[in-house]
Amino acid sequence: MTQTAPADPAMMDGAFDPLHSELRIQALTRPSLSYWQDAWKRLKANKRAILSLYIIIAMLLFTALGPQVWRVNPAEQDLLQISSPPGADRSAILVAPYVPWAVEEAPTPVTQSDAPDGTQTPAVVTAPAADAGLELVGTATTQMVRLKWNAMPGAADYAVYRNIIPAKGPGTYGLPLGNTDSAEVTRFEDLLDLRAGTTYYSVVPVDQTGAEMPQSINLKVDVVNSITMEEARARRLLKDGETPELGSTVNFALHPMGTDYLGRDMLARLMQGARVSLFIGIVAPLLFVMFGVVYGSMAGFIGGKVDQLMMRFADFVVALPFLLFMILFKIAFGIGPGESGIMPLIVAMVILLWPSTARLVRGQILQVREEAYVNAARLLGARTGYLVMRHMIPNTMGVILVTLTFAIPSAIFTEAFLSFIGMGVAAPTASWGSMSNDGIKTMLTHPHELFFPALMISITVLAFNLLGDGLRDALDAKMRSRE
Amino acid sequence: MAALSMAAGGSDVKNGVDPASKTITISIEQEPPNLDGSLTADTISGFVLGHVMEGLLRLDQNNQLAPGVAEKWEIGETEATFWLRKDARWNDGKPVTAHDFVFAWRRTVDPASASEYANIMSPIRNADEINTGKMPVSSLGVEAIGDRILKVHFVKPVPYFAQLTAFNVFFPIREDFFKSTNGRYASGAETLAYNGPFKITKWVHGAHLTMQKNEQYWGRDRIKINTIDIPYFTTDPSARINLFRDGKIALTPVAQENLEEAQMLGWNIKSFRDGGVFYVEFNHREGRIGGNKNFRKAIQYALSSSVEVNKVIKVPGYLPGKSLFPVWLDGVDDKLRKEYPAPEYTPDTAKAREYLELAKKDLGLKTIPPIMLLSGDTPLSNRIAEYYQDTLKRQLGLDVRIDSQIFKQRLAKMLAGEFDIVMTGWGPDYADPLTFGDLFMTGNVNNRGHYSNPAYDRQLKIAQNSNNPAERMAAFGAIQKIVFDEAVILPEYERALLYAVDPEMKGVVRRVFGADPDYSYVTIAED
Repeated sequence: MTQTAPADPAMMDGAFDPLHSELRIQALTRPSLSYWQDAWKRLKANKRAILSLYIIIAMLLFTALGPQVWRVNPAEQDLLQISSPPGADRSAILVAPYVPWAVEEAPTPVTQSDAPDGTQTPAVVTAPAADAGLELVGTATTQMVRLKWNAMPGAADYAVYRNIIPAKGPGTYGLPLGNTDSAEVTRFEDLLDLRAGTTYYSVVPVDQTGAEMPQSINLKVDVVNSITMEEARARRLLKDGETPELGSTVNFALHPMGTDYLGRDMLARLMQGARVSLFIGIVAPLLFVMFGVVYGSMAGFIGGKVDQLMMRFADFVVALPFLLFMILFKIAFGIGPGESGIMPLIVAMVILLWPSTARLVRGQILQVREEAYVNAARLLGARTGYLVMRHMIPNTMGVILVTLTFAIPSAIFTEAFLSFIGMGVAAPTASWGSMSNDGIKTMLTHPHELFFPALMISITVLAFNLLGDGLRDALDAKMRSRE
Repeated sequence: MAALSMAAGGSDVKNGVDPASKTITISIEQEPPNLDGSLTADTISGFVLGHVMEGLLRLDQNNQLAPGVAEKWEIGETEATFWLRKDARWNDGKPVTAHDFVFAWRRTVDPASASEYANIMSPIRNADEINTGKMPVSSLGVEAIGDRILKVHFVKPVPYFAQLTAFNVFFPIREDFFKSTNGRYASGAETLAYNGPFKITKWVHGAHLTMQKNEQYWGRDRIKINTIDIPYFTTDPSARINLFRDGKIALTPVAQENLEEAQMLGWNIKSFRDGGVFYVEFNHREGRIGGNKNFRKAIQYALSSSVEVNKVIKVPGYLPGKSLFPVWLDGVDDKLRKEYPAPEYTPDTAKAREYLELAKKDLGLKTIPPIMLLSGDTPLSNRIAEYYQDTLKRQLGLDVRIDSQIFKQRLAKMLAGEFDIVMTGWGPDYADPLTFGDLFMTGNVNNRGHYSNPAYDRQLKIAQNSNNPAERMAAFGAIQKIVFDEAVILPEYERALLYAVDPEMKGVVRRVFGADPDYSYVTIAED
């Protein structure tokens, strides 16, 4: 058998002849690019990723520099502008401070009608009942709307309603503001949540038995924004020393993105919220992914019994309930009610969420470890450190970045969830999650309160995802020479 | 019948109000937890029981006392007598007798039945002794003289006893029927005997409850509807709003968030004050800052209940709080709050700051440490708590930490005194100012802040022991003044509930006490 085997090439004739000198390797060179330079070059070619990167940088600037530019206290409540949408009318008239409506005269007789006392706003009676005389007293402002009417025969009491559309007969009068509880009282003062714009008042007489009578008197009222001198000064809406007359116009404080349900500035709150959300969203995943990478690569690289032991420990950590530990840490940190729970949140995330990264990285390392080029490098005398830095990490970078990009949005969501159940940020500090949670209650009436924080979360999460996608492609060593 | 209702349920025929079959359909929050009237105290069971049972007296459509099983009654200082009507019958046709009341009331105080509302019977002779096991059940101060006279003996005068007899704990239970259920009393539609305007004809646990007119009821002529159908048990407010929008139910609570939509849809919105008073209570315990009067006055002058109601709560019908006593309580001849008006004051930042400086001096503090504000976990209480936090920060520079807790936990923390100030409230047990007045008595378990003031206790003793209305009301007037002067509590608001009603359904009665809402006076509009 050995006789018929082909002869060793080294033993063949001419095997020891020198190479022909004219045989030259073709010079195919390019500028030497380091791994990172190459990655950056390919990332730049990915338009989506670059756009996402810009968005993330913009978001970071918004968080870091925004509060320096937009110096509005995010916790300050402006009860004059509750839930006002962006671009709402800000002009308001100056009014005297509120004083209770004093009973200054005898009840108006049925036949006699009072002249309107200096009413600036035209009071339009839309459905005039016979000498019902429902009219405004003074100007209808967001401070108060005062109505009076003439006594109606048979009425023992009057029910006053307010509506945003004209009433279409009994049962459709709108909000039941209250009753006068007496036949003598033929006036009503409305202070409840008044907003600038047109509203419709209805006064319905109530008979002796407490039933509402079928007729009603209605009045269309145009309510204007108002502010007292004191409030205007306290909110620095007037220049120093300026004392305009009552009735002149001032502008409310500007809220470019509107205000929330307590009149707090949405823009300032979004900036503050970004600080919390991005801090948790970036710091926590970075820490636990980093730990997971170190842990996983150690387990994968060393292998054997150590690997088994380390990964069983990781399995054990996976089994620990996150929420329970979050609560335990909160207590262990001595964080009482009403204090921010951000530190225990980050600690709980780092301690409990690393195993998934560790598992992925270990799997990757196990695979790469057996590759031929690793063995070759090892044969050539490469040290462990070189192997890890040169071969292992670049080849697992894709997996690490995917984990990271998924971890960031999920961390932002976790923070939102915990703020929702009262374990995250404490009032009045805002986070995007808690703002969304507050905004969802008034989604139909004041959509901007939900829209802006939700938009911020969406944009941030999308940007991180797209950037991560681009980074994975750019950093993947296997795709290196494919341009 | 079953097939018919199935078909109706499947198609869209079924409406919230059905004039043809005189049926109204409504929803309740949950399955009635316990329909055993002697033992239960929750509002949903009380709602169902109020429709299917009747006590000695009942409340009419104007919330006035009216004859129920008793056609005549006399209430004295030491005893009360009730004469039962001849035509009061159980749904199987047997008459309701005085023995049925004696049996039911003895059961309530019997320690073996462990009724959580046994203490409401304590004005009756020996009730407390029986409940603590010191005396036999048969010694309860209530006796049947023949079938139609019931006599009750009191330990002390109870001006509000007539009111109590309309409450489900005082409803009758028939002994022979109770025994025939073999301990399964009130577990289903068949194991309850009904003497009220309606009877339960169908009770699928957790899913469906139907009440139909009780033809044996003595006042059947006044009942104008045949069926109250309850096929929806849900606590989800938006589910109920949606059911109402689709015309599936005849009444729904309306939340502040839905008001704009409700106006646009032209709903018939009503508001009803449930009688409860909500207030901020201080912790007067040793070492807590709430014990300092100047501190309390500072908070009092910094906060405005009017702004809170009009700008933060924004629900029509809420009344800005001015007093411990709500407006609906009766005084001697008129309402208590008309005879003894609540002290008027205007919130004043400058004054509040002065008081705070005094408080700092008293306490020897340069700055006040952060204040723990205990609040509920509903969106509304969070909103109010944040309003307080900002107001106190801006006006007084105080740091407020909000501790928002679920109801049970909040009660536990209040009991343990783990708060500086707490947002809480009190719903009345009976229609007398005493139900609010005794809250801040030294040693009352419901006095969570451990407030103690001999002057307060002195006035309260007068109100508790006197039978002279003028003297009692004067005492309550004095208590009202002490509460303001000492800033024992800061009244926030008197609560209102908003609801929308199908315009075809008329005559729904809302009540502070008893079955709420009461559908037994409902008429369906003809069209």
